Amino acid sequence: MEGNVNHNRVDVKEIGLVLLDIGAILMSSGANTTRIRTTISRISEAFGYSTELLVTHRAIMLSVTDSAHHSFFSSLKRTSPHGVNFKVVSGISRMSWRIVEEQWDVEQIKVELTRLESIPQYPRILILLLVSLAGSSFCRLFGGHVIEMGIVFIASFAGLLIRQETIKRNFNPYLCVYFGAVTASLISGLSVKLGWGSTPETALATSVLFLVPGVPLINIFIDLLDGNLMNGTLRGINGLIISFSIALGLLTAMIIYQI
Amino acid sequence: MTMEWWLLVEKGIWFGLASLGFAILFNVPPRTLLLIMVLALIGGMTREIMLHFGIHVILGTFAGATIIGLLSVWTSHLKHTPPLVFSIPAVIPMVPGVLAYRTMLGFIKLASEHIDTSVSQTLAETTSNGLKMTFILMALAVGVSVPMLISRKETFKYLFEPRKDSDKN
Repeated sequence: MEGNVNHNRVDVKEIGLVLLDIGAILMSSGANTTRIRTTISRISEAFGYSTELLVTHRAIMLSVTDSAHHSFFSSLKRTSPHGVNFKVVSGISRMSWRIVEEQWDVEQIKVELTRLESIPQYPRILILLLVSLAGSSFCRLFGGHVIEMGIVFIASFAGLLIRQETIKRNFNPYLCVYFGAVTASLISGLSVKLGWGSTPETALATSVLFLVPGVPLINIFIDLLDGNLMNGTLRGINGLIISFSIALGLLTAMIIYQI
Repeated sequence: MTMEWWLLVEKGIWFGLASLGFAILFNVPPRTLLLIMVLALIGGMTREIMLHFGIHVILGTFAGATIIGLLSVWTSHLKHTPPLVFSIPAVIPMVPGVLAYRTMLGFIKLASEHIDTSVSQTLAETTSNGLKMTFILMALAVGVSVPMLISRKETFKYLFEPRKDSDKN
């Protein structure tokens, strides 16, 4: 056992803090509970420590021990909801294998974590255009035609823009979703009011779909199936509030236009 | 018949484009974008073919999501990226958005309407839409995690490459 271990002399506190960071980053980036657990124990085993972990929606608690129980570290870290970032999830997964196979030390892990967190997102205009195109595709899949698709494109573009701007100004995350939904449905609702296109209802229904919390919704069931009932339930309530924010946005536009 | 196949392919392309938008929104690594679109196209077309042959939408969605889930294991090996990075954006176009919209519309109606004969119809439609939506969401999530559920493995890394001696600690 001892011979296979990378660096048995790594301080338990040092590795514990790095593991906490990794767990918190994974939680904020949209990884499910089992993935966090697997990644953390894979890395800690590479350093010859065993880790027990408590993952909740907004905090992570872990205790690290060595095999002989000579050293022990236990700590708690709050996680902040940042939104989905699969580049980070994927990067940490790759890193965990390289830690095992290439016997990385803690410094290398810290450098890699800083690098992963500073990888830029896609250009903003590209995100806006492609998400709007996705909205139009949804509209087409649900039976819309060219006019409706165009309306959904404009509505999604404006809605996402407003959502990004409100997130930047540190509004409550659910309120950001609401603002996005109101903007999008005010634009697409106008086409329903004026009767443009052959199936204007499709435009209204699909213009807010870019706000659907896809990753949280799927993570709910993945967590529940893995037996992480508490995390699954918490994610479920989060998804429910987001869905209600979208609904409220739609409702606002429908009341304004009297549809 | 040829026209129908063309419509099927067209729908497949829209499935691909919808997943591309969400992949960008979820900030996936650029090397995975093309495969995500291909997975969404295959999964979406599977569902459309099953719907065409009169199979229920819940079962069709489950089949589509399962195929995406199984293929994502293989693509994750190709690109050294966790399977979920491929499978989640690829199943997003199958999310029952219009059903959710109709369910909500039904709720609003039920909350505002005066009690008359149309209430029971609204109630029946809303319940049906809401349940269908929930079951489709569950079908998506279970379908995506099928590979994990049937193999009971925490990693698929050793499925395609032999385990090295140094790993067995």
